[in-house]
Amino acid sequence: MVAKLLLGACIAGVMPAHSAAPQDDCKGPSEDCAAVGRWNFSVALGAGVRTNPLVNGEDIPLVVIPQVSYYGKRFFLNDLDVGWTLAENDTNQLNLVATPGYDRVYFYRTDLQNFFITGFSPSGQVDYTASPTVAENTPGAVKIPPRPRRITYLAGPEWTFKVGRISGQLDVLHEITGQNGGDEIRAALGIPLLESTGVLTANIGITWKSAAIVNYYYGDNTIYEGGAALDPFIKVGYTLPLAGKWRFNAFAEYERLGNAIANSPIVAEHSVATAFVGAVYTF
Amino acid sequence: MRQRLSVPFTPSRVRSEIARACLRGSLSVLFGSLSVLLQPPASAATDSGGDAIQLELSPRICTLALNDKQCDTLVRATWKSAREESLCLVILDRQDVKRCWEKYTEGTYSIELIFTEDLVFQLKDLQLQQVLASEVLRVIREAIRYRHKRRQPWNIFD
Repeated sequence: MVAKLLLGACIAGVMPAHSAAPQDDCKGPSEDCAAVGRWNFSVALGAGVRTNPLVNGEDIPLVVIPQVSYYGKRFFLNDLDVGWTLAENDTNQLNLVATPGYDRVYFYRTDLQNFFITGFSPSGQVDYTASPTVAENTPGAVKIPPRPRRITYLAGPEWTFKVGRISGQLDVLHEITGQNGGDEIRAALGIPLLESTGVLTANIGITWKSAAIVNYYYGDNTIYEGGAALDPFIKVGYTLPLAGKWRFNAFAEYERLGNAIANSPIVAEHSVATAFVGAVYTF
Repeated sequence: MRQRLSVPFTPSRVRSEIARACLRGSLSVLFGSLSVLLQPPASAATDSGGDAIQLELSPRICTLALNDKQCDTLVRATWKSAREESLCLVILDRQDVKRCWEKYTEGTYSIELIFTEDLVFQLKDLQLQQVLASEVLRVIREAIRYRHKRRQPWNIFD
């Protein structure tokens, strides 16, 4: 229902400006603009890590990170996200998007999202353990039996906007693959801090996950049942063009897990940190 | 495409001939002048007659699709003339391409070419001083349109 209301509001706010059509201010390839009908491939090579908040969860290495995108007149694909642009003008864009559920990356190294995060990481395809809760030698410890967390997709409207140099994004998503039926709201602002030869940008935002999603990943029928969770995050990134098709890239991100997630017995950390330093080659 | 060697038979040239005939005031001269009009001048007759050198290219247009960066194709240039000619085929700004014939009435030259802009093919005399015929192999690019990328603050590089 929330998604429907937002979709209606966004359409009402954006549609009068323009129907879906290519932007007039996009005249050539740039950081903000992509050629319609062309595939874009890039790969990042470097060193980095994403921490895993699960008990006994192994951190996720960032070594080789492939990226792919395609923009049609309205259709687009960003790695594992697909979408359709309903309407846009110079500063607003309204899309319908489908995007994978994120939390599975902590449970399965083989999750497709980890391919786009770790790429061909040297640590190989290893499933994370989903069962351990408390050390087995702990007196009175209760063991949570492992259970699968399947690949899920969420879909819904997405509104992106730009006010001056600040850009914003709001996604209202609903799980559509029949696994948990949960909802998720993602909201973020991108703020350029320094723009010269290189660009320093800060992203701040939140991810709200309904109880259905939280419990699908972090709950247990007999031991733990969480409520909705609000995860705020901040990310600072720097990119600098290098020779040819190379550019330097470094970023650091900190995400605070909501209490409903952090309090789960299978979660050991209250936050997730990510850092990467490397170079990106665009084909 | 038919190329003319000498001065073209233009409408202004016709008007000049008529004015001169009127000034003479003589009907016979007028008739004479009219007969001249009806019979094109010698150079023009050469132009519009069978002596013109025809230069044809195949293909005449290279269309670059969205993802194409350059044309890479076999080009065939064919020329014909009613009389024997001694000439060279060259491509403007491509000094590596040159093919000459001596006392031929026709010739064909095929070459694999890689190019990104229009190519001007010229038939010149053996001294490469006078252009006898010219034809352009055009490059047409499919218009590239751009649109805003979608920002993903959750994405690792956005």
